[in-house]
Amino acid sequence: MKSPAPPGFWGRIENLGLVVVRPLGRLLEELDFLAMTLMSVGQAPRGQWRFVRRHVWQQIYFTAVQRAYVFTVVGLIIGALTAFPLIVFGIHDPRLLGRIMHIMMYHQLNPILAALFVAGLSGAAITAELGELRANQAIDHLAAMGIDPYGFFVLPRLLGMIVSLLILGFWLNIGVTFGAAVMLNVYQNIPLTVFFRVCVLGLTCGSLALTVGMVVMQAIHIALVQTLRAFRVRAYVDIPRALPSAFARSFIGCLVISLLFSLVRYG
Amino acid sequence: MVESPLRLHGLVLGLHPTPEPFDFQALPGEIWMLAGAVDSGRHELVRTIAGLASPRAGHIELFGHDVARMAPRARARLRGRTGVVLEQSGLVPAWSVFENLSLLVRYHGLVPDPEVEDYVVDFIESCRLPREILPRLASDLSPLESGWIGLLRALIVRPKLFLVSAYLPRETLAPGYSVLAFFEDVVEPMEMTILVDAGPHALPVGPATRLLVMERGTLLAAGPARDLVAHPDPRVRDYARYDHA
Repeated sequence: MKSPAPPGFWGRIENLGLVVVRPLGRLLEELDFLAMTLMSVGQAPRGQWRFVRRHVWQQIYFTAVQRAYVFTVVGLIIGALTAFPLIVFGIHDPRLLGRIMHIMMYHQLNPILAALFVAGLSGAAITAELGELRANQAIDHLAAMGIDPYGFFVLPRLLGMIVSLLILGFWLNIGVTFGAAVMLNVYQNIPLTVFFRVCVLGLTCGSLALTVGMVVMQAIHIALVQTLRAFRVRAYVDIPRALPSAFARSFIGCLVISLLFSLVRYG
Repeated sequence: MVESPLRLHGLVLGLHPTPEPFDFQALPGEIWMLAGAVDSGRHELVRTIAGLASPRAGHIELFGHDVARMAPRARARLRGRTGVVLEQSGLVPAWSVFENLSLLVRYHGLVPDPEVEDYVVDFIESCRLPREILPRLASDLSPLESGWIGLLRALIVRPKLFLVSAYLPRETLAPGYSVLAFFEDVVEPMEMTILVDAGPHALPVGPATRLLVMERGTLLAAGPARDLVAHPDPRVRDYARYDHA
């Protein structure tokens, strides 16, 4: 078989352009999906709200409540691991330790870790569940009989994901702080109360607002990518393909969001 | 003037190559059977009327309203008067049969909340299904049971327009209760307009059977089989034969 001719100069330029245009196209697609979901709020009949409430609570339960134990364990271990370099470098100043916790953990790593877990666990569950409903034509049936799929399926998951990621991010911060505090107390005799105080004192309204904004953006991104991928499923065989790509895209998007917020915060 | 549940004006289905435009109208209580080869556009027509596919051109009127010009909430209300059954049962597997059946009743507010359970139970019993099926998970149902629950979910809203694009079950879940008896007991009293695409020669054709013969995404002929047997197009005549029925 004859191999395709290597692309010439203009071919390379075109490929380079596609590298830039494709992510933009995906972003526009995601924004379009978000717009459809938000528009469904105003168009929802009264009967829809009971289902929205129920599904939001279910999403919070499955994402935040059921994962609280995992996040506690992970938080404590990450906190302990974070403390080791500080111990090795012999950093004893509690104020400096608090500052490091804020810049490194609360502003950047913890939200990314929370997003990673939520995208991998709950996000994948959303893609699998909605993908199955697409493949067995449940969404088609309900849409044809007057149920808005965006308001009924996407909106509750979007709201549930926002609340869940905020709760889990907060919970992870507590676990990390506690884990680090215990290690620093054991190895460097820094009292727990002193460490907790410097961690709390470093909080400002501005930094808190930025962190909450970042987490909300990440949650919206995860929910949109996972539901968008699920809505593209045509048959059952598409579901195993949709799961890893949805996870990868949602996590990379979360990293980009973190980077953008860090640039705003420190840039 | 009688309100037509379904009217198509210059409809061009979204198929390749672009089909010819066609008009069609169904009156209340009429049953239309779609006939045509596998790729004749029957399936696409049902999906287009159901709002699941976009036409290339033309207008679809449901109950006298052009669906493309309606506000989304009004359109959803109108779609609430439509029952749809597609190839697969389309049940939510993680929900019970009761949750699947009550979804549309609650969503469209057909009966007050406290009466929903009685409404669903009454409906199930009128269809001679055992009440014990209600708490079962949809994922635990057999294909025949899923097919029936999918059909009943579309019928429970007592639609005025019923669109079917599926192979209909040939037996009911109640022993000794035929599909024909179910049709006479449950479906006929609802007096709805029905458009059925059950596959070529899947249902018996009688002289009064209204046929909608399609070919390459457009309408070749529409009318009772007894009028179409003398149609100049041999393909129409072939589908209109009712001597084997």
